[in-house]
Amino acid sequence: MELLRRWWKPIALLFLLAFPWLYREPYYHVLGFNVLLFAMMATSWNIMGGYTGYKSLGHSTFYGLGAYLVALAANKYGWNPLISAPFLALIVALVAVLLGWIMLRTSGSAFVIATIAMLLIFRLSALNLREITKGAPGLSQPLPPWSPEFSRMPFYYYILVWLIVALFVSWYIRRSRFGLGLVAIRDDEGKAEMVGVNTTLYKILAFGASAYFVALGGGVWSYFTTHISPVFAFDIIVGVDMILMTMLGGLGTLWGPVLGAFVLVPAGDFILFTFGSTTIYLAIIGGLMMLVIIFMPKGILPTITEWMDNRHGPRAAHQGARSMAEMYDAPSGKTTGEDGSSHE
Amino acid sequence: MHLPSLNVLIQVTVIGLLTGGVYALMATGLTLIFGVMRVINVAHGAFLIFSAYLSYWMFTSYGLDPFLSIIISIPVLFTMGVVFQRYVLSRVKGDPGLGVLLTFAMALTLEGFMGSLWESTGRSIRTAYTSKVFPIELTSELTLRLPWVRVGGLVAATIALAGIYFFLKSSNLGRAIRATIQNRSAAQLMGVDVESVQALTFGIGLGTVAAGGALFSLIWTFNSGSHEEWISKMLSIIVLGGMASLPGTFIAALIMGVTESVAAVIMTSYLSPIVFYLILFLTLIFRPQGLFGVRIREG
Amino acid sequence: MSEMLRTNGVSRRFGGIQAVRDCSISVQSGSIAGLIGPNGSGKTTLFNLITGVYLPDEGEVLFEGRKITNLPSSKICHNGLSRTFQITRLFWEMTVLENMIVPIRQVGLRSLLGPNMFRYEIDRAMGLLERMGLTHLKDEPARKLSFGQQKLLEFAAILMADPKMVMLDEPAGGVNPTMIRFIMDLIKDLNKEGMTFLVVEHNMGVVMELCDHVIVLDQGTKLAEGSPEMIQTNPAVLDAYLGT
Repeated sequence: MELLRRWWKPIALLFLLAFPWLYREPYYHVLGFNVLLFAMMATSWNIMGGYTGYKSLGHSTFYGLGAYLVALAANKYGWNPLISAPFLALIVALVAVLLGWIMLRTSGSAFVIATIAMLLIFRLSALNLREITKGAPGLSQPLPPWSPEFSRMPFYYYILVWLIVALFVSWYIRRSRFGLGLVAIRDDEGKAEMVGVNTTLYKILAFGASAYFVALGGGVWSYFTTHISPVFAFDIIVGVDMILMTMLGGLGTLWGPVLGAFVLVPAGDFILFTFGSTTIYLAIIGGLMMLVIIFMPKGILPTITEWMDNRHGPRAAHQGARSMAEMYDAPSGKTTGEDGSSHE
Repeated sequence: MHLPSLNVLIQVTVIGLLTGGVYALMATGLTLIFGVMRVINVAHGAFLIFSAYLSYWMFTSYGLDPFLSIIISIPVLFTMGVVFQRYVLSRVKGDPGLGVLLTFAMALTLEGFMGSLWESTGRSIRTAYTSKVFPIELTSELTLRLPWVRVGGLVAATIALAGIYFFLKSSNLGRAIRATIQNRSAAQLMGVDVESVQALTFGIGLGTVAAGGALFSLIWTFNSGSHEEWISKMLSIIVLGGMASLPGTFIAALIMGVTESVAAVIMTSYLSPIVFYLILFLTLIFRPQGLFGVRIREG
Repeated sequence: MSEMLRTNGVSRRFGGIQAVRDCSISVQSGSIAGLIGPNGSGKTTLFNLITGVYLPDEGEVLFEGRKITNLPSSKICHNGLSRTFQITRLFWEMTVLENMIVPIRQVGLRSLLGPNMFRYEIDRAMGLLERMGLTHLKDEPARKLSFGQQKLLEFAAILMADPKMVMLDEPAGGVNPTMIRFIMDLIKDLNKEGMTFLVVEHNMGVVMELCDHVIVLDQGTKLAEGSPEMIQTNPAVLDAYLGT
């Protein structure tokens, strides 16, 4: 057990590095790419939805913006998407900061609704600004220069690198003072503001950060599929997938979103393959989401952790009650068996 | 952007008002549900489309006119609402964002089932009276041409809304609902069984959406994915109206109906739908309390 | 003695209720001021107006002579004015130590992106926890603490922000006599170290022992003020409490 705890990360990484060579059919390369892509985007969503507690249903906005910016840059200036995507995603993150500056005047359900409205505005704009986006038919991109035999592999490794970066950023944020502030906002925003956390600034920055990797994902995806259209680029379901993966794996945990993606992307593929229709897929992810929200709102990882904690026996929880008495013993010298809670 | 003639403007304004009446009926349930539960039912659009499908199915299979088949679809949706609130939604407490996500998940599930049952091609009901028009001659130059279906829709919507109004005003349950909307804990203290009121309200909310869906199926074309567009419209209406205010919803629905109808002739018809979402977005952000009501802020 | 906090004709209305009406109070620096009044007299609303939770409809709030009326709460906290809540508010999912760290003021991006706690900050936090007798609980989630411990933790945590002045909303509310004694001694000690206090309290014994100066609110407006002895004998105050 201890061995597994120490070595699972290098083992997992080795497996992921070897995966395209172990499973050589193009199908597995596409699947692997999608798993890593969604793991990265869910990790990104988690910064806002998990750490900060503001659950955006409109993150596909940034996916679509990333996809379009990258595709446009490739068509107009011939920029290689794999090089331009990380930079263009920065622009999208800036746009997200600006949007966040307006949107984060709302909170709770109003915020969720505002994010849906944001997505619809962008989708309709993409459909209608035909001079730029070519409207509903969408945009095509030049094919990757490498031989078709390997066509998916570079994408796979590319996105693997970025998944690691995203995880590092997520870990770093959670470990930083900034991340502590975000979790404080999730716990009690009014109190956080009252003890000096500039909640507005924190939320806006978190929103921008959580948009970044989603935009990057959109950019890479646009090159990967070579053809994008508003309906697929600004598809609310992409955002829903990120939410579902994060919630299933563990909202606000580092590895939860990744676990969720590793479970749900193959499962989704399996469903599509078995039933051959996207409508059944919708019904299933909708139903699954309801089940997760009702029965396991914390997600898999925290549930397991809690279970392990309980198995290791009740921790210092009881000490709390006793300690109060100790405290009185020390300063006043009296022995009161009482504890503050008895006077609640 | 171009300005059409005055005659056209008057014509589209009147049509917009007629449409707004139907919008009001569709959105009333959403307002009731938010008022009592403080949860935004994002699945409202999906239930609307579902009831439109029900009307469609009863029309094509049994030849039942949508104005008649309401007798069946209202109880069906009422039951769905009670069950959904009692056994699903009431389990989520605390985080209001989670409640929204849950109703959204419900919408996806419904969309998936509807798509599987009826495929995703657009449907609409074409009755004998679908293309009939009421001409009203105002002046020698100006004749309003009002589609029969929309006039009928407005009349039906008015009857239904008046029914709800009197129900809330004079029945015991109606009073309990109003009390819960105004002050939930006080209502609880006064002996209102809030749990049951919530379940029944959800049922009534979906009952109104069944009536709305029947009208809807006569006027618009729909498929299983249409609910996204329509929930956004209904949200715009209730947010503009002030969330928990029934009169606010009614007025906002008329405003939105007219705005949409006018925007469609003065802007390109592609751009005009954005007007709806912009109004929603801007209201949420700059006037969260809407025209007449409470801010939707929790905590 | 100079003036630490002042409100000038502050008013706030909620719907049809005038919660605070033309209220002017002043707190001298280095003092312990008491704010008393019957239930619903606007004490907590006044706290909320001072700390930026609500904006006043009229009037202004001055802290050390500077206007803080329209500042966000976090800025007010940075200026050196902190508060506790009548119903204890903590970050329930965080550990005790993390609760202590959040209020430390952040300057610049570097400290924001630095590690979430520095050694010297932990040392300071542990020092304060020691003083509260909470040291052994530092890694427990705040929600697992007892009611009294939570109250102490809230007090300790706001001290981490290095406030010049602290506003306490019913520090003695709902805790046992031993704990009241402990909190009172703590306030006195901190006051000797130079901290200014404004205390809302229902327990008159506490107010009389602790405060140098007492302000009485009734129906949202200032009814009387003066030394504890003066207040105790003021007929208007007795009327307000006993009801006329």
